[in-house]
Amino acid sequence: MFVMSSSPHIRDRETIPTIMWWVFISLLPAAGVAVWVFGIRALYLMLSCVGAAVATEFIIQYLTKRKITALDGSAAVTGLLLAFNVSAGLPLWMAILGSVFAIAVGKQVFGGIGRNIFNPALVGRAFLMASFPAAMTRFFINQNGALVSQATPLNILKEGSAAPLVGYKTLFIGNYPGCIGETSVLALLIGAMILLWRGYISLRIPLSYIVTVALMTWVFGGSNGLFSGDWLFHILSGGLMLGAWFMATDMVTSPITRKGQIAFGIGCGLITSIIRLWGGYPEGVSYSILMMNALVPYLDNIFKPRKLGERR
Amino acid sequence: MKSLVAEFYKGIFKENPILVLALGLCPTLAVSTSLQNALGMGLSATFVLICSNILISMFKRFIPSRVRIPSYIVIIATFVTIVELVMEAYLPSLYKQLGIFVPLIVVNCIILGRAEAFASKNGVFASFLDGLGMGIGFTFTLSIIGLIREVLGAGKIWGYPVSLDFVPVLVFALPPGALLVLGLMLAIKQAGDKR
Amino acid sequence: MTAKIFSLFVLNVFTANFILFRFLGMCPFIGVSRRKHPAFFMSLAVIFVMVFSSIITWALYNYILLPNGLEYMRTVSFILVIASAVQMIDMVMLKTMPALHRTLGIYLPLITTNCAVLGVTVLNIDMFVKDGKAVSGGFLFSVLQGLFAGLGFMVAMMIMSGIRERLDVIDLPRPFRGIPIAFIVAALLSLSFMGFNGL
Repeated sequence: MFVMSSSPHIRDRETIPTIMWWVFISLLPAAGVAVWVFGIRALYLMLSCVGAAVATEFIIQYLTKRKITALDGSAAVTGLLLAFNVSAGLPLWMAILGSVFAIAVGKQVFGGIGRNIFNPALVGRAFLMASFPAAMTRFFINQNGALVSQATPLNILKEGSAAPLVGYKTLFIGNYPGCIGETSVLALLIGAMILLWRGYISLRIPLSYIVTVALMTWVFGGSNGLFSGDWLFHILSGGLMLGAWFMATDMVTSPITRKGQIAFGIGCGLITSIIRLWGGYPEGVSYSILMMNALVPYLDNIFKPRKLGERR
Repeated sequence: MKSLVAEFYKGIFKENPILVLALGLCPTLAVSTSLQNALGMGLSATFVLICSNILISMFKRFIPSRVRIPSYIVIIATFVTIVELVMEAYLPSLYKQLGIFVPLIVVNCIILGRAEAFASKNGVFASFLDGLGMGIGFTFTLSIIGLIREVLGAGKIWGYPVSLDFVPVLVFALPPGALLVLGLMLAIKQAGDKR
Repeated sequence: MTAKIFSLFVLNVFTANFILFRFLGMCPFIGVSRRKHPAFFMSLAVIFVMVFSSIITWALYNYILLPNGLEYMRTVSFILVIASAVQMIDMVMLKTMPALHRTLGIYLPLITTNCAVLGVTVLNIDMFVKDGKAVSGGFLFSVLQGLFAGLGFMVAMMIMSGIRERLDVIDLPRPFRGIPIAFIVAALLSLSFMGFNGL
């Protein structure tokens, strides 16, 4: 008749699987564009990464005799996001290794979902970048069904070569060399709409992130002195849209307070711009999110709501 | 006699300096990029450990306890300087590889730790065995980490390629790989402890 | 000059961070990074001792050891100078700043055998003394390297202690509790700091 249980007593209908599978669905438009731009190879990469992530989660949970939640969608999202973050020419075994690392070291070492400090997909990407720098930074474009090696727009910008940069329209549609899931701003924005509609993300992190990058690259990114940078090019290219909407907003590894989230976005934007403009790599989205992940305990602490009357 | 044997064995397993006592971590991480470097560092540290243990246990009566730590450091630093000079003369390439970690053997906490915890309280022969055991434990663990990192990170063993079509996972040759391998080894050790 | 100082800063704080890339000072890093408060004061003490040691070892090496051909005495003399400097700082602080001594005091003895301090002084000599002659600006670079290395130590300590306080309330898998997870987190931090390579 009466059931005794500890709080919380009021539960939302949203469960982890619903949220995670909706996030997965929101990534599908970009996945579709990836197959259209880079061909069937992109599909193989996505299937391998998702498969490896789910399998790793299952095996670890089985071996450690914990509750098996490998099909709750979170591992699948991690796998898909990692696949989005690699070049179309990456050997499948490397992608699988990255996926295993992402789940095992990025997530399960901390005890599984909700406990990890760093975004697992980005842990996987940083691992691959450090392990296979050549394969991770050689990008391709699909020409009549064959992958042809070509530099990304950000690479061309970094090396300061005279090769023409692709136009804003191409950057928006996504038909240019880059990591397979990051190129199409259009598809990523459609996905972001789904997340906003479902209420899983707010505008705070993505907007503060993107605006900071725009400001920084406008002020410091130009060759004709201050305030001459091509900010639109910077926010449309590289992994910024993917990172800002789908990875910086990860509920587990971003701050919980509103002010903390805005500070998180600004921090990501600053580090991304610093790496893009002055660093050794052409792109800094993944590293900046990882570094800000590490600062989340502080952001949560600084912007923690105060009790009425409590002093600083 | 049995206790002397125990003094020797404890450093290798039960009180392994790296895995159990978590001492000497800096050189463990920094020079374990290859088996050769690991062995070179391990043997150098073992030499210093044995010599300083013997000397400190010999002079323990004459060292006033108030200045014992500086005295131990001087004794240790003397042997480290000997190692430095000998290695620079006869093994210049190893000396270059190990870099500042050769002079830093002075502050390897294993050595000062054993001086303080063991040699200052025990006889010469027991201290020798303690130093030898701890040194072997240190060298052995360091070499295993070195071997793992060399195989995975460079695809080589003792400088020879493992297989022609092995693609090295470069991260294991880099600093994050060192932290990762040691972290996982400590976790495996902790999992093996009694439940 | 400014560019050189800036690159020295980036090098010591990020891309060749003493803890995450050079592995100097691991023992206090693992031992004292459980809580933010002690981590902060330990780092402060390390910065203090590093700058101080950089100054005196530079003078010792260039004005006493080098002119007399005593370079082989480097290791022995440096460690003694550092040990006595720490002792001195300890006493001076006790007399003049007792409040600060109460918070920093317990960490000072630990720093004597902190390899990061001896490491930075040896590194100064390796980097800024070439062929038995100090490079121009060598003294300034040494002092700054002492400062930046200490700052890098502080950055790693603070990030780590923030994360470890959070991990304390998490039910970690048993094999990883305590020191192992600290190493894994350090590995992931080290991986992310690689993003600053080439800055």
